[in-house]
Amino acid sequence: MTQVPKVIGFICDWSVDLKPLSDGGRLRELPNVRVVQVPCSGFVRPDWLEEALNRGADGVFVTGCPYGDCLNREGNFLMRDRIDQLQRRLQRRKVDTARIGMLAFGLHDGAAFLAEVKAFVDRIAVLPPAQPARTAGRPAVAQPAGTPEGERT
Amino acid sequence: MRTVYTMGVALLSGLSLLFAVGIIYGEATDQWFLGGGSVGALLIAYSFIVLLLRKMGMTGPRKTER
Amino acid sequence: MSTVVERQTPGRYARLMTTLLRETLRLDVWVNRLYPTDFNPLYYTGGLSNLFLFTLVLSGIFLFFYYDASLGEAFASVQYITDRVPYGGIVRGVHRYAADGFIVAILLHLLRNWFTDRHLFARDNPWISGMFLLLFGGFIGFTGYQLVWDERALTRLFIGGLGISDGTLVRILFLHIGPATALYAFLWWHYVRLRHPKIWPPGVWVLFCVGLVFLLAGVVPMTRETIPAAAPAAHPTSFPMDVFFLIPFWLLNFLPAGVVVLLLVALFVGGLAIPYASRRETPVEMGVRHSGVAQVIDGNCTGCELCYYDCPYNAIVMVPSPGHRSLLAVVIESRCVECGICIGACPFEALELPKFLERDVLRQVAEALRPGSGQAVRA
Ligand code: SF4
Ligand code: SF4
Repeated sequence: MTQVPKVIGFICDWSVDLKPLSDGGRLRELPNVRVVQVPCSGFVRPDWLEEALNRGADGVFVTGCPYGDCLNREGNFLMRDRIDQLQRRLQRRKVDTARIGMLAFGLHDGAAFLAEVKAFVDRIAVLPPAQPARTAGRPAVAQPAGTPEGERT
Repeated sequence: MRTVYTMGVALLSGLSLLFAVGIIYGEATDQWFLGGGSVGALLIAYSFIVLLLRKMGMTGPRKTER
Repeated sequence: MSTVVERQTPGRYARLMTTLLRETLRLDVWVNRLYPTDFNPLYYTGGLSNLFLFTLVLSGIFLFFYYDASLGEAFASVQYITDRVPYGGIVRGVHRYAADGFIVAILLHLLRNWFTDRHLFARDNPWISGMFLLLFGGFIGFTGYQLVWDERALTRLFIGGLGISDGTLVRILFLHIGPATALYAFLWWHYVRLRHPKIWPPGVWVLFCVGLVFLLAGVVPMTRETIPAAAPAAHPTSFPMDVFFLIPFWLLNFLPAGVVVLLLVALFVGGLAIPYASRRETPVEMGVRHSGVAQVIDGNCTGCELCYYDCPYNAIVMVPSPGHRSLLAVVIESRCVECGICIGACPFEALELPKFLERDVLRQVAEALRPGSGQAVRA
């Protein structure tokens, strides 16, 4: 796939230090990744991630502090659970779970963070182009068995 | 890496066997400090076994970290 | 330590605290190389303190059965526990080393939460109650050393001179056990504003800490030879000094008693003042982390209680909704730390941070997705 995927990252202000990594809201090394600084990873409403995907983003991720070290005690744990739910929900609408990610990096983990984001972008880049999430298209990935359509999350 | 961890677990298991013998020996000969100290050493050996198992991914949180 | 820092200019304090924050987190990076994050002991310092406290309570109950609180019998009964009771020496050692571990864990907990800004804003409740916990912990340790009634007990600060009688030790025993019980009342205060307090460390550290305490008790036992019994005429000479509980008495070698007491009071009061005296960052520097107390948009709230379960600081209460039969979420402003976790929890768009609204986020999202933005543009 030639086109560079558009990725939006919601990044907790307390976690990885973005000052040396970003420029005008975009990662310096990966200008296709737009970063939105949020007060805590738990601030991100899963609806917003869904909305971003609907509007044409190829991938979204949330970054919090290392698990156990959330400044607000449990924001990243809660966000991890919410992302799991969102992945299950969107999977039934044929959205690949690889498009939604939860990362956890501390203040000094800039290099590891960049590497992880690169891997995330690479995973998305090889996927077939995103269907608009609301229209039912061909499944991007085979549905795992045992996920009945009507299951509530 | 996995073989290193496995060897570590084996080594620590051997050590804990030793400490268990220490507990029984201390109890049998009424050397209570030896017995109690062995209890401590045994628990510490266990803690490192658990750590190694966690690093091998055999125990740990419900969801592995991503 | 606090008092020294606070007298300096705010700028220097801020820079110092920022350095400390960065170094604390750098230490985490190193620990995380060794331990997975869910086993990182520095994330569970409070749980470690609680573990040591639990160990102390259990071993203390054991010792209580054998201890005799009278002048003639106290030292002898301690010796009886150490030498004659099966594993009594071990339990005594456990009680002593767990007390040291308790103070170490408390200090780690205090410093870490101080350096990582976890004492600011509405988080001051755990900080203040923690200060009282520290005070009581130190006092309990001190009375514990009196109970042994060896040479270290002759400190003359509280019980010296004429007043010693059989009742003295009973009083001290009460002053040891009473405040220890009170610790649990303070712990309730410590936890009351926390949604899911982490009160227990990961299993690895339970095994390790209990094991370490037992190992030390076995390897470095406390025996009769180490310290002679208390004799009213003797002055404390040289004896193994406990670093954590008896530091004030070590200081007495150099300073008059009044100065030492003043120093302790100053430390305590300074500790209480830490969350209010100075801040590491100005509100502007905090940026998005200072977006105002969460607001409920009453019309949207359906009373689903999701925010109530997720707020980590118990800042949201559910009240009966006027008009409907359902409930309504209300944010108690003095408890809210502006984290925004409830915003993520609410599926009905009924919560907002006043300075960072949903539409601000969505505007940034839309900006990112505008055609042509991204690759070429490096704004
Ligand atoms: S922002 Fe919300 S979740 Fe955070 S402390 Fe305030 S009310 Fe609780
Ligand atoms: S999550 Fe939203 S709708 Fe539910 S109780 Fe809280 S504010 Fe109301």
